[in-house]
Amino acid sequence: MGRVTLRLGGGLLTWLIVLLALLPVFWTILSSFKSLRDIVSPIPVLVFQPTLENYRTVLTTPAVRDGLVNSIIVVGSALLIGVVLGVPAAYALARFVRRLKGDIQFFVLSLRFMPPVAVALPFIALWLDLGLYDTLIAVIVTYCIVTISTIIWLGVPAFEQVPRAIEEAAALEGYGPFAVFWKVALPVAAPSLVGAVLFTFVITWNELLIALALTSRNVTLPVVAAGFTTLGMEVPWGVINASSVVLALPPLILVGLIMRFIDRYFSRPAR
Amino acid sequence: MNHSASPGTGQPRRLRPEHRRFALVTLLPGLSLLILLSLIASVGAINLAFQDRMLRFPDAAYVGLENFERLFRDRRFANALQVSAIWEVVTVVCTMLLAVLLAILLVEGVRSPRVRNAICILLIIPVLLPRVSAGLIWRFLYSPTMGAANYPLTMLGLPPIEFLSDPQIALYAVALVDIWQWGLFFGVVLAKLIETLPKEPQEAARLDHAGTLGVYWWVALPMLRGPIIMMTFVKAIESLRSFDLIYTMTAGGPGISTETLDLYAFQQGIGISGRISYASSLSVLLMVMTVIIFSILWKRAARWAA
Repeated sequence: MGRVTLRLGGGLLTWLIVLLALLPVFWTILSSFKSLRDIVSPIPVLVFQPTLENYRTVLTTPAVRDGLVNSIIVVGSALLIGVVLGVPAAYALARFVRRLKGDIQFFVLSLRFMPPVAVALPFIALWLDLGLYDTLIAVIVTYCIVTISTIIWLGVPAFEQVPRAIEEAAALEGYGPFAVFWKVALPVAAPSLVGAVLFTFVITWNELLIALALTSRNVTLPVVAAGFTTLGMEVPWGVINASSVVLALPPLILVGLIMRFIDRYFSRPAR
Repeated sequence: MNHSASPGTGQPRRLRPEHRRFALVTLLPGLSLLILLSLIASVGAINLAFQDRMLRFPDAAYVGLENFERLFRDRRFANALQVSAIWEVVTVVCTMLLAVLLAILLVEGVRSPRVRNAICILLIIPVLLPRVSAGLIWRFLYSPTMGAANYPLTMLGLPPIEFLSDPQIALYAVALVDIWQWGLFFGVVLAKLIETLPKEPQEAARLDHAGTLGVYWWVALPMLRGPIIMMTFVKAIESLRSFDLIYTMTAGGPGISTETLDLYAFQQGIGISGRISYASSLSVLLMVMTVIIFSILWKRAARWAA
């Protein structure tokens, strides 16, 4: 009997939690279409004349457009380097490294322990000394710590799940290790690898501290959005809401794909 | 997984030369870049920590342990240490509690797999939000004059709560955002893991008249001990990255009531003061602490979880 009540009440409670959990996001999206008069009203306005003014302001602000372009360049390049260097390394680690495998995997993971501030400070000094402070190249190279290590970390289990037999069959056909990797292992592991790349994309796209530390004018989008609140005397909430939505859009578009990756990763019997 | 010892896979004990060459060619560039960058980060930070470098001037002199001595007399450092400790405990404990309760609720309360999957997709939205967006969203909600979080109070004629400008509340108000992002996500992951468990032990416990919560407490959760320990570990590391959220929401204020270690290091090293060496000494301490603590914990957690 307790089970039945829990199930009924549980169903209701779950939906209530979903509603509460998404209310902040929903409210922000709604408010991004409101004029300032509807936003500052002490009583929440649900029916209003929607306006695209906030988005127009955000997207025509040069800082936002530059930030968007910079973010795309920085994240795209760091991700590309991460994939090119990380994916083959993950394969080699999964297949051809034995004695050092545990140590290398631990090293890669331990980079994730490093506090971002401890990474940012020495790199400021380095890029200043090299005359590269406030350039996109500096941010891209620094982000490579994150992209390469995350892709190796998540790529190793992806390749371990590839059945060895098909690789060996290909090797018997006369394929060398590069051909086996490129023509057999990579296509089979691809769905899991896409998840790893998406995950790495989300981390770097969302990153604030290092970008904030390493640049002053060539900033990425999170830095621009974070700076909106300190601008001017009157807090432009409509514009802030619109810019949070614009910034959050790329990771949110990927939510379905990422869920599939989570399913693949966790919905199998442990190990 | 230990492949080298697994019999029957036809795997030769010794690596063939072409495999050795492949491993060398593919591992060397990525790993050497990672090693180089991490050396720059760690050696660079330690080197800076023993100097008196300011951001505005390129030249600096070595000053020995002066920065560290100053640090231990710095009241603001002590405050940041305390704030960070509270942040760490509150966010880790509450995230895991929320995750466990939510997971049980999802598995027990929602029977249809398709509905459950749809709910799971909705619940991982918060964790995907950039922290800057999440921070701005909640700043808007918390606003005393127009925030939706205060609306139920003002509707009842009560005074609004100054969530982010009351030094007693601000840290917890920001922590709630972190728990909102991670607790929901971990709840979904844990629900997926519960689904993979064999059903028999739970049915057996049920025949022994254990209540639903009892079944989870005594049977299902102990079976997931390993993943739960690993998740707690991951959350503890992620919680150290409090900077983005706190910077966007309170920038350490009111006063220094939400100033964590990384935020203080940032303000000292990069903000107006630009005392990059002093900030480096702080970040070196932070780095040594986390790398040592988490390396030990990682080995122990791996053994525990096994």
